[in-house]
Amino acid sequence: MAILLTLLLLLPLLGGVLNACLGNRLPKPLPVIIANGAVIGSFLACLGCLPQAGGEGLRVTVFTWLSSGDFQADIGLLLDPLAAIMALMVTGVASLIHLYAAGYMQEDADQTRFFALLNLFVFAMLTIVLADNLLLMFLGWEGVGFCSYGLIGFWYRKTENAAAGRKAFIVTRIGDLFFTIGLLWLFALFGTLGIEAINGRATELDPTTITIIALLLLGGACGKSAQLPLMTWLPDAMAGPTPVSALIHAATMVTAGVYLLCRMFPLVSLSPLAMGAIALVGVLTALYAATCALAQREIKRVLAYSTMSQVGYMFLAVGVGSVSAAMFHLLTHAFFKALLFMAAGCLINLAGHENDIYLMGGMRQRSKTIFWLFVAGLFCLAGAPLTGGFFSKDLILAAAFAQGDLFHLGIYGLGLLTAGITSLYSFRLAYLVFAGDFRGEELPHELPGLMQWPLVPLAFLGVLGGLLNLPHFFGGHSWLSGWLSRDHDVLHLSMNAEYLLIGSAVGVFILGWLIAHLRYRKFAPRETGPISGFLLAGWQFDALFDRVLIQPFRAVCGFCWQGLEVGLVDGLIDGFARTCVAWGQSLRLLANGRIAFYLQGFAWGLLVIVGWFLLRAAV
Amino acid sequence: MIVPLEHLLILSTILFLLGLTCVLVRRNLIMILIGVEIMLNAVGLVLVGASAFWQQIDGQVMVLFLMAMTSAEVSISLAMVVYLQRRKNSIDIRSFDEMRG
Repeated sequence: MAILLTLLLLLPLLGGVLNACLGNRLPKPLPVIIANGAVIGSFLACLGCLPQAGGEGLRVTVFTWLSSGDFQADIGLLLDPLAAIMALMVTGVASLIHLYAAGYMQEDADQTRFFALLNLFVFAMLTIVLADNLLLMFLGWEGVGFCSYGLIGFWYRKTENAAAGRKAFIVTRIGDLFFTIGLLWLFALFGTLGIEAINGRATELDPTTITIIALLLLGGACGKSAQLPLMTWLPDAMAGPTPVSALIHAATMVTAGVYLLCRMFPLVSLSPLAMGAIALVGVLTALYAATCALAQREIKRVLAYSTMSQVGYMFLAVGVGSVSAAMFHLLTHAFFKALLFMAAGCLINLAGHENDIYLMGGMRQRSKTIFWLFVAGLFCLAGAPLTGGFFSKDLILAAAFAQGDLFHLGIYGLGLLTAGITSLYSFRLAYLVFAGDFRGEELPHELPGLMQWPLVPLAFLGVLGGLLNLPHFFGGHSWLSGWLSRDHDVLHLSMNAEYLLIGSAVGVFILGWLIAHLRYRKFAPRETGPISGFLLAGWQFDALFDRVLIQPFRAVCGFCWQGLEVGLVDGLIDGFARTCVAWGQSLRLLANGRIAFYLQGFAWGLLVIVGWFLLRAAV
Repeated sequence: MIVPLEHLLILSTILFLLGLTCVLVRRNLIMILIGVEIMLNAVGLVLVGASAFWQQIDGQVMVLFLMAMTSAEVSISLAMVVYLQRRKNSIDIRSFDEMRG
């Protein structure tokens, strides 16, 4: 069992390293086979050690990584229920994405680099998931950042792609800084970085310290999970190949922040203030991203904003204290978002590499399969009753509602509003892409089978994902809450409240659909007004950050460069050199080559010396 | 000592200054060398005189060395004068200013 757990982590690393070192020398399909084999093997290993994961979990110490005085960090893996469900999702979804990528990247010359990075990405995420101490988790955390940088900027020959990669790396680094501070602080307080040790002893700390540490962790999570205010990198991350988008949005990167908060929940939950902040950040991001998604024209950007919005829901769930709701939504979202992204990749292919939805339309005729798959994904996203997305979102909103006080009711209201907007932009996307006739001019590109059938299991998982944690109201047993040993996440609301919650959720879903139906059923090219322009630009946050942060930073850098470096330092050194040269130039005149002049110099010198001796003799 | 030391010193000073003036004002290389010789001889005269005054043999020994060195120096410098004459067809020191900085 221990060997299986080790393999679960190391297989993707092995695949990635093999491809990175030898990939280009291997015959053509072999790198793809290695990459796919590694991830699928990892998935099977995960299935294999699943029976051991219940209760206390399965624990392996591969080796001691660092040891210095009291401090010890192991490469220690822990497969507890939370990690197991997450690892299963990551490896499972990543396997399907790898298969899809094999079809998607068939003709790319840099296939090997792509698959090496993709494998390492999965490895880094698994490190986060399985780490039993925060230092190892941080290693994975940074690995995810690096791989996302390499993959978003994969087609780096176009400048904006490389810039998007850099942006993702730098913005998430800002969050990482908070995480690092929190990490070091925790180490200073406890002298250990073991997750269980910290969680177990968290009650020893005084409330202010806990609040600050929890907020630092929130800052780190915000960076990775693209929450306000560190969310600007996610829409630009669409520059990467579609499988990468799917991987970032569904399985690997953005869920890391939620996972961190769930992992450290015993610590975080001790501070009501931090919990409130998490819920607030979550719901505000959800609302913000949903409104932005309303105005986007690129199919992948709509999905990117929807991811941000859905991850906001997960934060909201953590913030209202329901880890199982967060994990539930994380799982269903991973299924349907991977499905949506990969189907979007197919649609872009079918539309002849066109990703502007205003130039799509009538895509239903081009492929029935993709139509049904994409619509299944959209139904989940919009929270259509009885799909996975409906149950998970409903559980989150119910958990917020169940808190009962005014703050949480407000958050519930915003969440419900967001759900309505989600439904609206989902169906806007559906109508613009599928209704009417094709508005572009491109002919469809061929769609390899590998790009289609990995979507089918995801569609089933997405639609039926609700069964994972079916509430009692629908005759289920809240399996996920039980598995995570978080039975108190199961809500016991009155019948009236249940009806009210479900009714309102269904209501906003239908309302959103109706508005989208009336507005977008027939395509009419619209003038972009100031509001839609504002939403299209993501509330102008990029411009704001540019004005508030980047330009002052540039100014300071410019001052350091032109003022301090060139002006002061170089000026001083150059001035010194120039003075020396000037002196040399004037001294040069003495060496005029005339012997008589030199002899004259001797004579004067003699006179001075004799005069000096005479003077001394006189005194 | 028949001649008083003061006279000797005055004489050698006059000789030295004459030699120095010759070195400074003449342009002909040979004349400059002659000036140098006169200065050296002025120094030699002081050495002999001082040696006689203090009844010490060192000064006279030094003068013998001085004469040997002077003859070597003269032979080398005259050889160089011949060489320079061949090169520039002149021994005017103003024509040798290639070492100008």
